[in-house]
Amino acid sequence: MWETVAQAVINGLLIGGIYALVSIGVTLIFGVVKIVNFAQGEFVMIGMYISFFLANQFGIDPLLSLLVSMPVLFVAGVLIQHFLIRRVLGPNDMPQIFLTFALSLLLLNLALMLFTANYRTVHTSYSDEALHLGGLYIPVAKLIAFVVAMALSAALWVFLHTTDLGKAMRAAAQNRDVAMLMGINPNRVFCVALGIALALAGAAGSLLMPFYSAYPFVGQVFVLMAFVAVVLGTLGNVIGALIASLMMGVAESLGIQYVGADSGLIVVFAMLLLTLAFKPTGLGGKAR
Amino acid sequence: MITHGLRTRTLLWLAIGLAVLIALPLVIKSSFAIDIFIRILLFSFIGTAWNLMGGYAKQLSLGHAAYFGLGAYTSTILQIDFGISPWIGMIAGGFVAMLASLPIGWLCFRLRGPYFTIATIATAQALMLIFLKFRDLAWGAEGTTIPNLGNAPLMMQFDSKAAYYYVVLGLLALGLLITYLIERSWMGYYLVAIGEDEDAAEAIGVNAPRIKRDIYLISSFLTALAGTFYTQYIYFIDPATAFSFNISIEAALVSIVGGIGTLWGPVIGTVLLETTSTLLQSWLGSSIGGVQLTVYSLILMAVILWRPTGLMGIIGEARQRRNSVKPARA
Repeated sequence: MWETVAQAVINGLLIGGIYALVSIGVTLIFGVVKIVNFAQGEFVMIGMYISFFLANQFGIDPLLSLLVSMPVLFVAGVLIQHFLIRRVLGPNDMPQIFLTFALSLLLLNLALMLFTANYRTVHTSYSDEALHLGGLYIPVAKLIAFVVAMALSAALWVFLHTTDLGKAMRAAAQNRDVAMLMGINPNRVFCVALGIALALAGAAGSLLMPFYSAYPFVGQVFVLMAFVAVVLGTLGNVIGALIASLMMGVAESLGIQYVGADSGLIVVFAMLLLTLAFKPTGLGGKAR
Repeated sequence: MITHGLRTRTLLWLAIGLAVLIALPLVIKSSFAIDIFIRILLFSFIGTAWNLMGGYAKQLSLGHAAYFGLGAYTSTILQIDFGISPWIGMIAGGFVAMLASLPIGWLCFRLRGPYFTIATIATAQALMLIFLKFRDLAWGAEGTTIPNLGNAPLMMQFDSKAAYYYVVLGLLALGLLITYLIERSWMGYYLVAIGEDEDAAEAIGVNAPRIKRDIYLISSFLTALAGTFYTQYIYFIDPATAFSFNISIEAALVSIVGGIGTLWGPVIGTVLLETTSTLLQSWLGSSIGGVQLTVYSLILMAVILWRPTGLMGIIGEARQRRNSVKPARA
């Protein structure tokens, strides 16, 4: 009995690590630039396709292609901030919401045109390997993904708390006007925030590739999860997003175990609606 | 004097436009063409319903498929299980949508900006999941076909496509009339005030929660009518079409491209987007998936980056330029 529960919790934590990479990106952009990036899931999708093509064409291991997908998406993030998002920052909601939404639609449908709706998978030597601990079963690919995801999250935390640029980003998140008075260049900080957030999404994509299929709509699964985790973990809070993502992973996994195989999304929506109904400012949030 | 002159001229244009629209199916017999006209009128109507809340009050919903689907399912269930005419089912669907908008609004209006948008997406998707999961409620994932009764106007089924055209033309006229009346009433001013700055509107005594609730009721009622019409037109219903995210997207898209918060914006936006998509399809064929939405999203980005006021904004500027040139010549 406890073994099935423990197994479900482990499965949830492992996939929760991937959710965390996506949510941390969303919450970082929201905290620093004050916009919601509707396209975050599509960057996970792009990360997956990068790893798929590198594995397919050159036989590069998806975990190694992390070193390609992260820099590529970092540059993409800087360019998107500089040429697109910078132009719509202002008091008006509509352009901000629909710019990233249009970007999401564009990337998704471009992928559909270029790569068709087929599922793409990469088979690695460790794709079917698993550790057996007591009665528990831990797939190696998922374990590696989880460990790398946690390491990247920790690295981000260290970056935000110890480097000048990281501190500038946190300052801009806390109070943009005062940060600007202190001589912080907002566009530069925003560019870095977008770059890091997209690099994390790209990392999530590469880490997923050994055990998950790439297809144009794949990002939608992760972005919905991320939105819920980000609301639950208080908007703009990196640690909150991390903890909430792990919780979401566990909740989803328990839902699959005890409610039904296709109930994952229902659990997500139920959690979102409950959060909105009872704690719209998140678990650690202050009233607006 | 001048305003009176303008009014007569507007009325004249309106009468000419209406006459052309009524005569159109009598002149053009191609059922392919009429099908496109029906799509344009239908999405203009859905956009008009969205625009009341999304455009004037700037409550940017991406969940209007919820009401489209509820309208479609209500009339279909009433028709198939109880033999009730979709004309009555259409109104019933509207009321079901209004009822549903109360708890959904209660949840979503707690949030502002992008998180309001996400919450509306989630509610529409949750409704789709409910209709997918509970087979006893309504045929589950495979949906059902509407029994074809031949030419039965009382059951909203017609031999000729032209009849459907007139039904949806009537719906659009209703939507535009309601928008016109609201635009000129106290409610219209309250909506614009909320859209400009909700806190400021509340500070001067606008009861924002009540106004938002009321406009959501009207907007969801109208969207449900479109759902019934569409199901009757294609003789089929399933959760994936009735609650399709694309309905929510297109409702917002046509309004933003045409001009958010303007009477004619959704109509102009639909004409542009649907014409583009038809041309693309005849040029490329419908074999490649994703072409239509790729082009739509590029148009949307272009509008947001260069003309956030949409096509109506461009028309308005052109008019102003013309008017400011005229007196200089005289």
